Amino acid sequence: MASVDPLQAYRWLVVCREFDRALCAANPRWFPIEGEEATTVGAFIDLRTDDAVAPHYRDPFVVYLMRGAEMWRLASQVLGKADGYNKGRSVPFNGPVELNVVPWVAGDLGTTLGTATGAALAFQQEGSDRVCVCAFGDGTANRGDVHEALNLAACWRLPIVYVCQNNGWAISQPLDSYLAGSIASRADGYGMPGVCVDGNDVDAVRRAVIEAVRRARVGEGPSLIEARTWRWRGHWAGDDQAYRDPALEPPDIEDPLDLYAYRLLSSGTADLAQLRRIHADVESEVAEAMQRALAAPDAGASELGVDEVYA
Amino acid sequence: MTARHSSDEASEHLPRSGVASGETMTMTEAVIAAIACEMRADQRVFYIGQDVGRMGGSMQGTHGLHAEFGARRVREAPISESAMVGAAIGAALFGQRPIVEISFGEFIPAAMSQLINQAPNLHYMTGGLARVPVVVRTRVGDGPYGGHPQDYSVWFAHVPGLKVVMPSQPEDAFALMRAAIRDDNPVLFFEPMSLAHGPRGPVVSNADGSVPIGKARIVRAGRDISVVTIGSMVPASVRTADDLAGDGISVEVVDLRSIRPLDRATVVESVQHTRRLVTVQEAWVTGGIGAEIAAIVAETCPDALCAPVIRLGTADVPTPSGKVRLHALPNPERIAEAIRALLT
Repeated sequence: MASVDPLQAYRWLVVCREFDRALCAANPRWFPIEGEEATTVGAFIDLRTDDAVAPHYRDPFVVYLMRGAEMWRLASQVLGKADGYNKGRSVPFNGPVELNVVPWVAGDLGTTLGTATGAALAFQQEGSDRVCVCAFGDGTANRGDVHEALNLAACWRLPIVYVCQNNGWAISQPLDSYLAGSIASRADGYGMPGVCVDGNDVDAVRRAVIEAVRRARVGEGPSLIEARTWRWRGHWAGDDQAYRDPALEPPDIEDPLDLYAYRLLSSGTADLAQLRRIHADVESEVAEAMQRALAAPDAGASELGVDEVYA
Repeated sequence: MTARHSSDEASEHLPRSGVASGETMTMTEAVIAAIACEMRADQRVFYIGQDVGRMGGSMQGTHGLHAEFGARRVREAPISESAMVGAAIGAALFGQRPIVEISFGEFIPAAMSQLINQAPNLHYMTGGLARVPVVVRTRVGDGPYGGHPQDYSVWFAHVPGLKVVMPSQPEDAFALMRAAIRDDNPVLFFEPMSLAHGPRGPVVSNADGSVPIGKARIVRAGRDISVVTIGSMVPASVRTADDLAGDGISVEVVDLRSIRPLDRATVVESVQHTRRLVTVQEAWVTGGIGAEIAAIVAETCPDALCAPVIRLGTADVPTPSGKVRLHALPNPERIAEAIRALLT
C-alpha cells in the first residue's frame, strides 16, 4: 500500500463525499454514496491506469477521477448537459471508456459483471498482466449474471477481482429480505478465495484488493471480496426513505472518513491542519466544477446522433 | 485494424484447415472455413461455445477448429449463455474480436440482456468511442434432428445497433461469416438448421466484402410475382418457382440474406417490376420480417401492387417439435398456393 500517499487516499475519500453531496443537491435522482466511500476508494485506488475498472453504479465518479476524468464533465453528465462524457446519451454514471472504464449502458443489474469479466478475458487473450476490478451491490449479488460470471471467471482463471459493496439495502428492501447467507462464502463454491472485510475501513478494503490483484496478475485467477458498509441515505437523493425504521438502524455505524482521519492523526501521519486544508481544497474544486457544469448547455437534438448507432 | 488478410484465397486455406475438401461445401463446412480463415489471419479472433472442443461442436459446427487453434482460441465455456455473450462483449471492448456460439437459437433468450441492453448500445451510448466487434453464431429452424427449432431471428432486427444475417447457401454463409467477423458491430449470425449439412454448394469467394451485410440477392429473376424470403425458405421458394415455371408462371425469388440492415432498394425494385408480393420466412408471421417488407412497399410504392400481399411463416402456435412441426411450417406447396391465389 506504499504506492499511494495516505494523504492522497484521504483526499479521494473527501472528493468522493463532497462531490456526491453536490450532485445530490443538484439532481434528486442521483444515487448517493455517502457512508460507503471507503469501499469504492479502497477497491480502485491501487490499480494501474492500464487496468480496467467496473465500479458499482452508486456514485462511481471518484473512480473515474482517479483515472483522469474531469470533474466538471462528470457533473455535466448528471445534469444532462452536452459536455458530459457519452454525449448525454447513457445513464449518467457510465464512465469514459477511453480511461479503461468498462462501460455501463444496460440499466438492469448484473449485466456489467459479464462485460467486466470479458475485459479480463481480453487481458488473458493478449497475454498481458492487466487486471479488472469489478464492484457490484448486495442486491445485484442475486442476479443469475453474477453466478454465471464468477463461475466462468473461475473456470478460465481470469484476472478479475469482484468486490461486493454490501450496504445492507436493495432500494427499499432490507438485507434479510433478499439474502439468507454470506456473499463472501459463495466464493468457495466457485473455487476462488472469498473474504469479508470492513467496508468502512479503507485500509482493510485496500489490503484485500491488493492481495486479490496480485493473484490475478500472476495468473492465479479471480477473487471475491465482500465489503460490508452501510447506506446512509436513500436509494436516490430525493428518496424520503419512509420504508426505513430508525429503530432498526445499527447504533454503531462508522464514518469511513472519520475512521481514516483518526488513524492518520493518531499515527502522526498527518496533522489536523493538513486534513482541514484537504477539505477546503476539495470543497472549492467541487464548487468550481458544479458551477461550470450548471452553466453548460443542455444535451439536445444535436446529441441524438441517428447516424452514430453503428461503428 | 492490424495487418491481416494477406492471403484471402479460400481454396488455399481449406485443405490445410482439415474442415473441408474439394470444390463444394455444406453450409456448416463453409462457416467453419470462414472462421478458420479469419482466425489464421487475425490473432484477436477467438471462439467461445459449448462442446466446441474435442466433440467438434453441436451438429459438428466447429469441426477441426479446436485441433488447429487449441483450447485458448477455441474456448469451451460453462453452460452460461449470458456470461458467454457478456464476456465476448467485454473482450471486444478491450481489443479482441470474439465469436460466441449459442448452440441453438432456443437458448438465446438466456443472454437477452447482454444482446439487447448492452451489445447494441455500447457504441452509441459512449458517444462513438466503444466498439463491439462480436459475432453471435447460432442455429435455428427445423433441422435433421428436429430439436430446438425455434427461430427468434426477427426479434433482433428490431434493435438499433445490431446486425442480423441468415444465409441460405454455402457461398453466402462463407462470405457473410467473414464479413461478420470483420465488422466492428455486433452481428447475429443465424444458420438455418435444415441447410446445415446440405445441399452442398461451391465456395469460391475470395474478395473482401463480396457479400456485404445488408445486401439481398435475386436468386431467380421473374416477371409475375416477387417472393421475398430468407434462410431455409429460399430453396423452398426456388423449388416452387421451378415447379410453377411449367405452368407459365414467372416467379422472382429475392433472398434477403440480412434482416438488419434490410436491403429496401432491392425489395422495392423487385415489387415495382412484378407488382405482386409474397413473403416467406421460417418464423412467426405476426410482427415478422414479412410485416416489415409489406410496410416498406406500402410506404415506398403503394401503387405498384395490383394484388394484396400474402405473408407466410410458421403457424402462430408455440413452436411444436416432432412430426407436428411439419404442419406448422411453410413449404413449397403453401408457397405455390399463395402465388396462385394472387395470380387468379
